[in-house]
Amino acid sequence: MSYGKKDEDADSGLVKIDRTQVFQEARLFNSSPIQPRRCRVLLTKIALLLYTGEKFPTTEATTLFFGISKLFQNKDASLRQMVHLVIKELANSAEDTIMVTSTIMKDTGGSTDSIYRPNAIRALCRIIDATTVQSIERVMKTAIVDKNPSVSSSALVSSYHLLPIARDVVKRWQSETQEAAASTKSSGGFSLGFSSSGNLPVNNSTMTQYHAIGLLYQMRMHDRMALVKMVQQFGAAGAVRNPAAIVMLVRLAAQLAEEDPQLRKPMMQLLDGWLRHKSEMVNFEAAKAICDMRDVSDAEVSQAVHVLQMFLSSPRAVTKFAALRILHTIASFKPHVVSVCNQDIEMLISNSNRSIATFAITTLLKTGNEASVDRLMKQISGFMSEITDEFKITIVEAIRTLCLKFPSKQAGMLQFLSGILRDEGGYEFKRAVVESMFDLIKFVPESKEEALAHLCEFIEDCEFTKLAVRILHLLGVEGPKTSQPTKYIRYIYNRVVLENAIVRAAAVTALAKFGVGQKDPEVKRSVEVLLTRCLDDVDDEVRDRAALNLRLMHEEDDELADRFVKNENMFSLPFFEQQLVEYVTSDDKSAFDTPFDISKIPVVTREQADAEDRTKKLTATTPSLKPPKAGPTKAAPSAAEAAASASAAAQKYAQELMQIPEMKEFGAVLKSSPLVELTEAETEYVVGVVKHIFKEHIVLQYEIKNTLPSTILENVSVVATPSEEDELEEVFIVQAEKLETDVPGKVYVAFRKVNGEGSLPISTFSNVLKFTSKEIDPTTNEPEESGYDDEYEVSDFDLAGSDYVIPTFASNFAHVWEQVGAQGEEAEETLQLSGVKSIAEATEQLAKALSLQPLEGTDVPVNQTTHTLKLLGKTVNGGRVVANVRMAYSSKTGVATKITVRSEEEGVAALVVASIA
Amino acid sequence: MAGLFKKVYDWLLRTFWATEMDVTMIGLQNAGKTSLLRVLSGGEFAIDSIPTVGFNMKRVQRGHVTLKCWDLGGQPRFRPMWERYCRGVNAIVFIVDIADLDLLPVARDELHLLMSQPTLDGIPLLVLGNKSDLPNRITVDELIDVLDLKDIANREVSCYGISAKEETNLEAVVQWLMKFAGR
Repeated sequence: MSYGKKDEDADSGLVKIDRTQVFQEARLFNSSPIQPRRCRVLLTKIALLLYTGEKFPTTEATTLFFGISKLFQNKDASLRQMVHLVIKELANSAEDTIMVTSTIMKDTGGSTDSIYRPNAIRALCRIIDATTVQSIERVMKTAIVDKNPSVSSSALVSSYHLLPIARDVVKRWQSETQEAAASTKSSGGFSLGFSSSGNLPVNNSTMTQYHAIGLLYQMRMHDRMALVKMVQQFGAAGAVRNPAAIVMLVRLAAQLAEEDPQLRKPMMQLLDGWLRHKSEMVNFEAAKAICDMRDVSDAEVSQAVHVLQMFLSSPRAVTKFAALRILHTIASFKPHVVSVCNQDIEMLISNSNRSIATFAITTLLKTGNEASVDRLMKQISGFMSEITDEFKITIVEAIRTLCLKFPSKQAGMLQFLSGILRDEGGYEFKRAVVESMFDLIKFVPESKEEALAHLCEFIEDCEFTKLAVRILHLLGVEGPKTSQPTKYIRYIYNRVVLENAIVRAAAVTALAKFGVGQKDPEVKRSVEVLLTRCLDDVDDEVRDRAALNLRLMHEEDDELADRFVKNENMFSLPFFEQQLVEYVTSDDKSAFDTPFDISKIPVVTREQADAEDRTKKLTATTPSLKPPKAGPTKAAPSAAEAAASASAAAQKYAQELMQIPEMKEFGAVLKSSPLVELTEAETEYVVGVVKHIFKEHIVLQYEIKNTLPSTILENVSVVATPSEEDELEEVFIVQAEKLETDVPGKVYVAFRKVNGEGSLPISTFSNVLKFTSKEIDPTTNEPEESGYDDEYEVSDFDLAGSDYVIPTFASNFAHVWEQVGAQGEEAEETLQLSGVKSIAEATEQLAKALSLQPLEGTDVPVNQTTHTLKLLGKTVNGGRVVANVRMAYSSKTGVATKITVRSEEEGVAALVVASIA
Repeated sequence: MAGLFKKVYDWLLRTFWATEMDVTMIGLQNAGKTSLLRVLSGGEFAIDSIPTVGFNMKRVQRGHVTLKCWDLGGQPRFRPMWERYCRGVNAIVFIVDIADLDLLPVARDELHLLMSQPTLDGIPLLVLGNKSDLPNRITVDELIDVLDLKDIANREVSCYGISAKEETNLEAVVQWLMKFAGR
């Protein structure tokens, strides 16, 4: 034993226990007569070893186990309890544990209030195997309905563990479980005065109900009607007293409502009732469940918000925190509902509990309007130094989203960000701040110079190599474009002098970007001098980079330098990642014979990548502290993931198309449309189409699925007839040879643009499916010899102007608008969108229908009645398309819009407008 | 008066010279091990007992001696574990159903297999032919022949015919076991 040593771990600090020594001592179990006291101490040591993660090898465990089994039936109740406890733990590692079944069974039964009964039941269920479960059925059934809650609970919990190994047997205990769930028993009273050590302590807990309901759910998991009945039966007022049990019902109700829309209404009523339950736990759970409900209405949420609002003034910090955290979640998707609580939340900003204060502020940042932002920022800076990094990150994330939402507030926020950048903080926190500033530079151009200045200052004294490298890279990219590039050269060169090799190398590359292609000979000479100095660096990488860049600077022809240094294109990262993962995880050894071919990865321009990036950042609300989730999480992917997968899908299409020899000569795919459904999902043949635009061709990719059982379609083709036959000429068709039931197949129809590569034909296509249908002989599972030819007509679809447009990002809309207006043409259209219920919905739909990228944060409408949407895109030929959409909303007529489109190319503006008309 | 004296004597023995002995009871399934133990410890004979899963342990008190009886399950899956429980005991009791003629060869094989274990050398063996109350049973002498008890060497071997149901010959069993107390 060693006391006094500074051992952090309690287990080794207090008593030194060695596994082999304990194993030696275990011979004590075989001595006769039994010495209960010494055996108990020894058992406690074994238990300690087991609980602190020590593993006995199988032979040792088995020997111990049989040694312990000698101790059975001792009169000492505490020893018996200990025996059961240790047997339960040894059951996994020892062999032949089934031997003790009968003996343990004796300890589980009887009406005695012996202290070891619950332990015996738990041990019993650990040693039993699937074939013997039946023999303990009677014991378990009586234990489940035992009047003592401890016994009943242990039997119920043990049944949980038995369920996976003997589902059918355990399912027969339903009525007993039901009884346990419904009973509001208490064993108080008779053992009060004289509870000796051998008797169970008084236990008035209603926890049994929780365990029983949990078990009932496990049993009925796959029977929705039974679950509904259960929720309604136990959900009635007073049926169940245990709050934890009701919480379980709340989650269950939420899940049911999620799965079956018809149950939504009754379940919602129950949830509403639980909002007024006397236990806080239940209130919170119900509020959470309501907020997590799919397309929940404002009215429904406001009920929950009202309840949570009352908790905000609770004296207990944990209650306030819980309420605020749920409100915070609601605020990320329904800020206007939460805004009624703003007053209460403001009181919490100065709360001494910083966790509460942080959530109060981030919630307010979400619900607040532009005017209140400044005041809040001031409040936050007051206590920024007092909270942990994790909360600081939450705040920074909130502010970042805010920056993108209200670009006009950038000055204040930038100041705030640079302020906290100077504070103490860990890597994660600093990274969050720096990333926010990166975003500001990228998406809010007015802030660029100042933000760069702050970052320059930051790297002067930055302990994180990774951040310094990223900032240097950004300086290299953005610096040369600013009005005074020389300013940054000093900062960068300081790094070359002062930092470690990794940062020095990054600095050299950044420096080179100022020199290469520099028009000002003075600057170019300075950079040259600096880079020449770097040639003496001690690090290989630094020297190499310096040498390469010097060479590029001396190159007469700027084209080479541009390709190396100022390349604005990048690989499409989602696709790149997917390909790499496929390559690395390939099972086929031969895949590694050839090195990974990077040239197959499609390249996107920085503009496109930025556009995607921005959508992702705006839709991802709070990436750090995860919002509370009730019950099972929904599978719906977030918008950000959807965007990522969409771009990956487009590249997938491109790959597939390249596989077809006839299409290789068409060149690269310029644009692929999303899948358009041409039939209902329930029809016998499900057909969808993807439109691929090539330089001189258009390919229609039909995705066809045969849903008829035991039929097979052969030689499937599609007769696609464009309405404008003089503009499009069919080149060839790739048939699907065979379509089995529920196996999707593809048919390609290729058209040539008659008027050459510059033209953008628009047309309506009518489509008829042609195929030979054969029935499958049920006896042989082979298709019959002869089939019959059949046709199947599906809906028409349009090839419209928007199919030729790709969303593009630019930071300054007004500039682009004027530029394009000066050289191009303009088209206008006024539309009444009567089916649309809000500005937000109209914004989303229009951007999608026009296939343009919203700029300057206009995809998030601030005002509920009027809004101006600014959109930008590029045609497949490279000409820019800008759109300005003004909207007004009235509850009677819906959304009225006026769309003005300008384009650099002739005729495009009218085409794009026409695509939504 | 003599009765009182006897009681005091017993009490003194129990208190100061108390000895405990371990006895293992084995045998094929349905030989009547659990029932015999129940009767020995003063319980009623029960006709429909359930098969023992693993083992039972009961104490039988006789004067100053406590017999700790380990009643092991007789189903094939438990037979490999008999040896473990027979190690270091004072006596092994092997119970045979003398009315079930078909199983007798199996019982013989199991017994001889167990007795050949070196760990169990020298432990006294008592073979009990149970169910002597049933009509078509064999006699004790026949049992000795069938089980080849004469081949078992290096230990004391006895064989009795008993009936747990009628409680015949049980006292002889206890007395035989008591001989080995404290050895």
